[in-house]
Amino acid sequence: MSPPPVVHAVNLVKIYQNGGVPVPAVRGVDLRVEAGQFVAITGPSGSGKSTLVHMLGGLDTRTSGEIWLDGKRADTLGESAWALLRRQKIGFVFQFFNLVANMTVADNVELPALLAGASAREARERREHLLGELGLTDRADASPAQLAGGEQQRVALARALANRPSLLLADEPTGNLDSRNTRDVLRLLGEVHRDGQTVILVTHDARVASLADRVVSLLDGEIVDDGFIGATRRRPRGTAGDVVELRG
Amino acid sequence: MSTLRASARWIRADLRARRGQALLTVLAVAGIVTALITSATLLEDGTNPWRGLFTESRGAHVWIHTRDAPDVAALSRLQGVVRVAGPYRAAPVMLTTDGRKSPVTLRGMEARLPAVAVPLVRQGRWLRAGDGEGVVVERSFARALDLRIGAPFTVTALNGATHPLTVVGLADTADQGFYPESTPGLAWTLTTTLDRIEPALGRSESVTGLRLADGEDTLPVAHGAVTMLGGQIQRMSTWREVRAAMELDNRLLGLLLALFGVAGLVAAALAIANAAGGRVLGQTRDLATLKSLGYTRGQIFGLLMAEHGALGLIGIALGLLCGQLAASAALGGMSILPLSPVPLLAITAGTAAVVLVAVALPAWRGGRIAPLPSAPTAPPRGHLSRLARLALLVRLPPALVLGTRDAFTRRVPALLSIFGLAVPMMMITIGLGCWATLDDFLRHPEQVGQAAALTVRPDKLPAEDAARLARADPEVAAVYPGSEVSALEPEQTRSVLARALGTSAEPYPFSVVEGRMFAARGEAVAGQGLLDLMGAKIGDRVRMTVGGTPLIVHIVGRVVEPEQDGEVLSLGMDSLAAKDAVPPQFYSLVLRPGADPVAVRARLLAASGEALEVQRVVNPAERLAVIRGVIVALVVVLSLLGLANLLTASALGLRDHALDLAVLKAMGLTPRQVAATLVTGTGLLVVLGVVTGTAAGASLVGGLIDLQGHSSGVGAGIGRTPSALTLIVAVLAATGAALLVALIPARRAARARVPVTAR
Repeated sequence: MSPPPVVHAVNLVKIYQNGGVPVPAVRGVDLRVEAGQFVAITGPSGSGKSTLVHMLGGLDTRTSGEIWLDGKRADTLGESAWALLRRQKIGFVFQFFNLVANMTVADNVELPALLAGASAREARERREHLLGELGLTDRADASPAQLAGGEQQRVALARALANRPSLLLADEPTGNLDSRNTRDVLRLLGEVHRDGQTVILVTHDARVASLADRVVSLLDGEIVDDGFIGATRRRPRGTAGDVVELRG
Repeated sequence: MSTLRASARWIRADLRARRGQALLTVLAVAGIVTALITSATLLEDGTNPWRGLFTESRGAHVWIHTRDAPDVAALSRLQGVVRVAGPYRAAPVMLTTDGRKSPVTLRGMEARLPAVAVPLVRQGRWLRAGDGEGVVVERSFARALDLRIGAPFTVTALNGATHPLTVVGLADTADQGFYPESTPGLAWTLTTTLDRIEPALGRSESVTGLRLADGEDTLPVAHGAVTMLGGQIQRMSTWREVRAAMELDNRLLGLLLALFGVAGLVAAALAIANAAGGRVLGQTRDLATLKSLGYTRGQIFGLLMAEHGALGLIGIALGLLCGQLAASAALGGMSILPLSPVPLLAITAGTAAVVLVAVALPAWRGGRIAPLPSAPTAPPRGHLSRLARLALLVRLPPALVLGTRDAFTRRVPALLSIFGLAVPMMMITIGLGCWATLDDFLRHPEQVGQAAALTVRPDKLPAEDAARLARADPEVAAVYPGSEVSALEPEQTRSVLARALGTSAEPYPFSVVEGRMFAARGEAVAGQGLLDLMGAKIGDRVRMTVGGTPLIVHIVGRVVEPEQDGEVLSLGMDSLAAKDAVPPQFYSLVLRPGADPVAVRARLLAASGEALEVQRVVNPAERLAVIRGVIVALVVVLSLLGLANLLTASALGLRDHALDLAVLKAMGLTPRQVAATLVTGTGLLVVLGVVTGTAAGASLVGGLIDLQGHSSGVGAGIGRTPSALTLIVAVLAATGAALLVALIPARRAARARVPVTAR
């Protein structure tokens, strides 16, 4: 029997209430992500892609539908159980980095490991390793405000990976970066993926999406396209003229 | 468990980022706890020096004065007796210093200090073997007579022989009360010296002290001793009498501190809630990030409780320490015992509970923050507030209008800020009212029933001569004959002081606050304490025994009475029986305005050839002088609280309007105008809070002091509101300081480059 998918969403629906008026954000999404996949979720603004990954990570509650993580049902969990689950299995990267402003880079990266119960020494070793991998060793004692945007996002990535999560959720990780930093961050994501990390990346940028194995397109809260990109056709360093090939 | 390390990192980082605010919280809480501890110590009688002296000297609970030395072995066998002090031989002698004679009891001791009831030598040394001329004098007696180490101590024994001795040491004791409340004075010599001064055994007595295992057993032990010694006993005294004699007037101070402490605690709770709430609001995004990393709601709550609560608890610990120091400092280093555990625990637990409750609400709100780090935390934006529209209408500069609008964007925090400033300001105003009342005591002693500045006792002169001498002095305005006798109230259970002063035709200028002055024989005025004691009211006729003579007293008025807890009946000399009234025991001298009592006293002493005894009347405000120090300290603590609230309000305003700043600048406001906008936003809250607090304080203070006056027996009618000028200066000072404090971050923000990014 094959291992269960890392993420399995069944008929996932999210309806916001805006002043008594229901506003559907996600309308019946079915999504299955296998271990080791790199999935890009794209779509125009307001298509529900961020809401979808927030629901997958338990940051937002679903209105109806099911979410299965590693073969276990997660949508019925309470807020605290979701938090415990996030601690062990999910890493988040946000558009605005969301580093804790008062803590140093080192503390930011060690925080999830400590939270998951690692000893101070383990957390430090893992942090040193991650920052080394991401080329930030010399910035360990800096405060986030002293870092450039790209550096901040790399720190956020290190933090998301600190607990070796089974799923990395990245919500527009390059949305606030210039092209050079975008390239750096994407390269890192690609490397992480090559090491076997399952990644779900939200982006509205086709070039960014083209990095993934598989691109899921959302429009008005529904999947309109879901296709794999052939390994040979994938061009990580794509240019503006690239055409993304989608397979239905 | 697992979150402990992560939480510790967060707390450390956050505290490092806001050291000033954290320090302020700690100091404010410490100040409040200090006030509470000090007040409880004062109220708990821990400041009665007796407690400290008795413990330190391992004092005796019962003192038995007998003609001859009693059977020590039998006494020590009494149930409950741990140790016996003495018996010591004691002889009455007369001490002559500067022509004045004071009765002294000389007690014969050994060169080795006893194990119990030890005289505590504070200056000089204890007696040594062969110290034939040496004497150790009880300290309060020495102070009253201005005796120092090395001073001559010339005593005359009952047989008339004079013996020159020298003071070698000053010692405290818990054997008897302080001089002059307890007379005669006490001094210790070697037994050999005493035998030389008073060789006749019949003219001395034997003093034996019993130290008990438990002070509560005093009564049975005393009964046992009476049964055993029978007629030998001349008199007995117990620790209760000594303690009562040493009681100080600390109740008022304690109550004042308690009032300030409790109100300060409310203010501190507000300040802490404001600070924690503002911090949580400011950290919404970081807290959401923590949640996205896997913090649960409960863990965020715990984290915030730990961080903000810990500051409060550190403050409490610091306050406990300072409280002990402050209590001893408030009493001029007199030895005091620490507070007993129950009130100590109550204060600690109570303050901790208040702090934790104050932190709990913001922490709970922090826990409920959605884990979506991008969730908006912008304040509700709406139309201009009524105030802002008013500001616009009267054509105030744009910065002021915008600032007025900003002040109330968040209603609840704005109201909390106003309240948080109003409470300390109210307490400061009350403090100023106490100050004004004390000033009034000193400036107008006649209003607290102390029209007379000097009391003259004829001593060796005939009373008429004393009156004549007093009237002859150019600065004496009036002389009132007076006598004090004890009066038994109707139930005959307790005696009170009956003070006859002046006559019905020419009464002493008592400060009558209710009813009228006595004007006929049999009429009297009373202090609040006496009215309460007898359950009488003005207009009642009460049957009393005054100086042994039955008398029906018609109480026609109430006076402000600072003496004897207000349990004093004041009447005319003509109401007393002739045996008490003639000759008068003393004369009260009302001086002309501006006269110096010290100079008049010196003149009277000189005119009478030192034959008169002239005493200055002690103003109650002089005894309460320590209150001024307390008021200053409390104003400092309360200002800290106000400052903490102010910083929160200012930080919150800054944070809420950070985005607007870019817009304002884009619209063309100069940095100065931007700063003015921010300062107005905070300043409006400050002005509202300060004015509200001052008004509340000013309207409360008179009533509060009168209430205290009523319950302490002095009676209502002493409370004073601080003068309008003082109030205006206080309001201006508070507002000005607040605006200055608000200006610094506002200027910095106005000059900073404002990032136009989402929060």
